[in-house]
Amino acid sequence: MTALTRHAGAVVLFGGAAVVPLVIRDAFFLDSLVLILLWGALSAAWNVAGGYAGQVSIGHASFFGIGAYAGALMVTRFGKSPWLGMLLGVVISIGAGLIIGFLSNRLKGPYFALSTIALSQVLLIAVSRWRGFTAGGEGIPVPFRPGFATLGLGHVAWVYMALAVAILYYGVEVYLEHSRIGYQLAGVREDEDAAEALGIATRALKVIAVTVSAALTSVCGTLWAQYVGFVDPAYVFSVDLSVRFALNTIIGGIGTALGPYLGSILITVLETYLRATFAGMKTGFTGIYLVIYGAALILVVRWAPEGLTGIAARLRARAAAGARGARAHA
Amino acid sequence: MDPARPLGPAQIDAVAQLGVSTILLGGIYALIAVGLTLIFGIMRVVNFAHGEFLMLGMYLAFWSFTLWRVDPYFVLVVAIPLFFVVGLVTYVLVMKGVITASHNVQIFTTFGLSILLQNVALVAWSGDFRFVRPWHLSVALRIGGTTFNLSQVVAFVIAVVLTVALVAFMKWTHTGRVMRATAQDRDAATLMGIDTDRVYRLTFAIGIAAVGAAGVLVAPLYSVYPTAGLQFVLLSYVVVVLGGLGDMAGALIGSLIVAAVEVAGSYVFGIAWKEIFYFLLFILVLVFRPAGLFGQRGSETLGA
Repeated sequence: MTALTRHAGAVVLFGGAAVVPLVIRDAFFLDSLVLILLWGALSAAWNVAGGYAGQVSIGHASFFGIGAYAGALMVTRFGKSPWLGMLLGVVISIGAGLIIGFLSNRLKGPYFALSTIALSQVLLIAVSRWRGFTAGGEGIPVPFRPGFATLGLGHVAWVYMALAVAILYYGVEVYLEHSRIGYQLAGVREDEDAAEALGIATRALKVIAVTVSAALTSVCGTLWAQYVGFVDPAYVFSVDLSVRFALNTIIGGIGTALGPYLGSILITVLETYLRATFAGMKTGFTGIYLVIYGAALILVVRWAPEGLTGIAARLRARAAAGARGARAHA
Repeated sequence: MDPARPLGPAQIDAVAQLGVSTILLGGIYALIAVGLTLIFGIMRVVNFAHGEFLMLGMYLAFWSFTLWRVDPYFVLVVAIPLFFVVGLVTYVLVMKGVITASHNVQIFTTFGLSILLQNVALVAWSGDFRFVRPWHLSVALRIGGTTFNLSQVVAFVIAVVLTVALVAFMKWTHTGRVMRATAQDRDAATLMGIDTDRVYRLTFAIGIAAVGAAGVLVAPLYSVYPTAGLQFVLLSYVVVVLGGLGDMAGALIGSLIVAAVEVAGSYVFGIAWKEIFYFLLFILVLVFRPAGLFGQRGSETLGA
């Protein structure tokens, strides 16, 4: 299998995203595309810890929020570039990621998930209450100043920005699939004791995976805040957001490079469509897409735990077997 | 406060009030947490949708009160069997299929259930904050220098009675023993002829009945809205981890500790910061004593 066919899905996906802005200039469409790519990249970042290393976090909104607030505060409080905020966010997220990574060595399964939720709740409360600096629960509008240095970009430029990040994160995942460290991580995920017995530094690896995942999430947090132009603690640190990263990845295919992006396309399109469909109805009815989310999550983990990529692989295998069968008969 | 100075009557009253508040709050937290710890202890599943059943209990109290003027404490008579059935149905439809699955599957199944129930409530009843205001909420009781309202006291008493009844059921009845045997060793219990599926069904139903009852009880004390369960469930994770997951007596002590931290924290630092203390406590406990304050060391890394 050549590199091109192995990554055919990604080539189609990212190639398509690169071509679309040249043809379609509809702001709504481009906005959806940016969000699909950003949510995909965020899910890919989650996948590094949750998929490849098997450390399932339900608190990744912590790192997203750190990135978002670092960028927004750097601009509004200090009048500096959001890029500097991004850097600061990454540094803080690495610190927080080290803590969570350390916890992942002490806690398993549900305990680890609980500790990550606790971290995001502590940040949510701290940011909501520290009104003097963070503006508290009202949130911060991020001013739009045109230019690359201030991340004040047009829709088309944002598509390429998000695309660059998406491709970069895809590359990180592919690296994790085919490198020594990636195989070691798979060992940690499948059987930690066996991996350790083989001389793999399982503890250090888990910390690294969680920390890298945190840093990647933080970068997207900053970008998202600059793109949307508003941050508030109740959203950026919410459990819903953390679940969303996981949900995209699980529906797309956990522990696969393309899965997070496929999940992001499906969920974002579904959300946009359902929101538009139910928008005219009584208030609260927009929540219906979240009802579908919840049901989808229950059904997918039960009936198709390998997600869309798994289903695709199964269909391909069946088609290949069918073709072989046909040849044998001929 | 200067520790060297003898306490004046005002400080004694404050301390007494904090103490009474702690106990009242702790009793209610215990009823919420005891169902969670029961389900974890026996089924080895952390029910991330636990808070949503509490929320449904709160709505049951709200609608009964608003539509038919039924006092929440009478609703309880219906609520306990009703939530028992809800638990049974949820077990059969959702939990039964994942009981032997991996942690991650279980985490996301119960999380999916949580999102589903929250938003069913949102769609059905909107996101408005609702209030249940029965007459006893405005009756203030004064004992010594402390003041509290009748609703709090009745909720506390009922919560304690239900919790104690549940602990006694687990300890002294045959079914309770069968459930504990299954918790200790699923395979051995099966070999002894125990129908583990029935045990899990019963466990989940009892756990949900307990938290549904708690929802009805707390409805007059807090506002009712679709994500109301979240704050309580996060708190009950803290309680349950403090007491050791699966340890019912530990959950009682954990509830008191969390209530004390909350009450003292809000008194000293203001109500806005109260949650941060028990989350910090939570993280500290997870770091230093992840099996709980009284739990067996190492049980958390087994992931059970």
